[in-house]
Amino acid sequence: MKRQFSKAVVLGGVLACFAAGAMADDEDVIKYRRNVMKAYAAHMAAAGAIVQGKVKGSPAGHAKALEATTKDIAGMFPAGSDFGETNAMDAVWSKRAGFEKRAKDTEAKAAAFAKAADGAEAAAKFKDLSESCKACHKDYRKEQK
Amino acid sequence: MARWPALIALLLASHALAAGPDPAAGEYLFRAAGCANCHTDREHGGAPLAGGRKLATPLGDFYTPNITPDPDTGLGRWREADFRRALREGRGPDGRHYYPSFPYAAYTHLSDADIGALWAYLRTVPPVRQANRPHALPWYLQPRPLLVGWKRLYFHPGSYVPDPRKDATWNRGAYLVQAVAHCAECHTPRNRLGGFRVGLYLAGDKAGAEGGLVPNITPDKATGIGRWSRGELIDYLKTGMRPDGDSAGGLMAEVIDNGLSRLTPQDIEAIATYVQSVPPVVHAVRPAEAKSAQDEFEY
Repeated sequence: MKRQFSKAVVLGGVLACFAAGAMADDEDVIKYRRNVMKAYAAHMAAAGAIVQGKVKGSPAGHAKALEATTKDIAGMFPAGSDFGETNAMDAVWSKRAGFEKRAKDTEAKAAAFAKAADGAEAAAKFKDLSESCKACHKDYRKEQK
Repeated sequence: MARWPALIALLLASHALAAGPDPAAGEYLFRAAGCANCHTDREHGGAPLAGGRKLATPLGDFYTPNITPDPDTGLGRWREADFRRALREGRGPDGRHYYPSFPYAAYTHLSDADIGALWAYLRTVPPVRQANRPHALPWYLQPRPLLVGWKRLYFHPGSYVPDPRKDATWNRGAYLVQAVAHCAECHTPRNRLGGFRVGLYLAGDKAGAEGGLVPNITPDKATGIGRWSRGELIDYLKTGMRPDGDSAGGLMAEVIDNGLSRLTPQDIEAIATYVQSVPPVVHAVRPAEAKSAQDEFEY
């Protein structure tokens, strides 16, 4: 019994090592989330040009892309990814509950934007989403380097 | 006879003065100046305007004071003349000099009427009893007479004088930027003595407020915001969304949320007019690598 238990522990340890190996390197996580954030910005700028009437079209595609890629914002900020080339403030980890609340808000606002029809409704939901981005950046992001 | 209109204008003006300063006008200026941003320790849930926010600078840590009307820990015993002197001259009621972490180098340019309105508004906020925390400065910066020297070098007191060659919108913008919103306090880099570096007006700082990066907002195309259209700058000041879709963060998000987003469209347009008119300065504040990524971004 005891032997079996220690076997289980060893096996568990080996599995944990594999899991850690399979998990992305922290630097890769940081690069990944920076690219995702840039994609958000590009879709926001593009959708903004449409809802402001600067160019013709529907913001729906951009809204759907934003909705699809904002499903787990906080997940892009795992423990240990708080060093190096990041503008994330320490508060992302030290005030985690507040950060996750903000991230959830952005996810909800992106979903609402994707559901909105075109026109004034889309413009209003777009503004809500933009406000949500800023609200999180205010407390959790340093000025962009 | 030609003097009649001037005389009538004078009478009307004196009537307006007799009616007293307007706290509502003061509240508008208070928001535009962002007083609450520094005088509230928001991070630790501090009461509005009761002070205690840490301003970390290369010279040491400053703690903002309580500006509520509490008689013992705030401005309750101040008279308007004390307030006027604090803003105009950077001195306390007891005559001691303030450190320029309090942006009196900008507030000195406020008009008499606006200082009166600000004071009227500050009397209306709820008093909070909270003692001020002393600044944490190295010993060699503690003697306040040093500030006499600083003022001689870098302080130019006096209310804003409109430039007669420019129109009213530009002058309003210059007044808002230079005196009220005190943009240069963060956006102009400082030398080791805490004075503005010559020739880098609004040109940004690599390690500015709270150790963070402060962007170059002069109209230089490569390192400033020269590629932003007037409409884009106005949108940014109102909403915090940059032309590349990114959203303002950190201190600027506070400035926009609590101040700029509440200003009239005319005032925002005036600020944009003025900011786009300042001399472009080539001053790169972002690391080269991130910068090239960002350039790529702008197309």
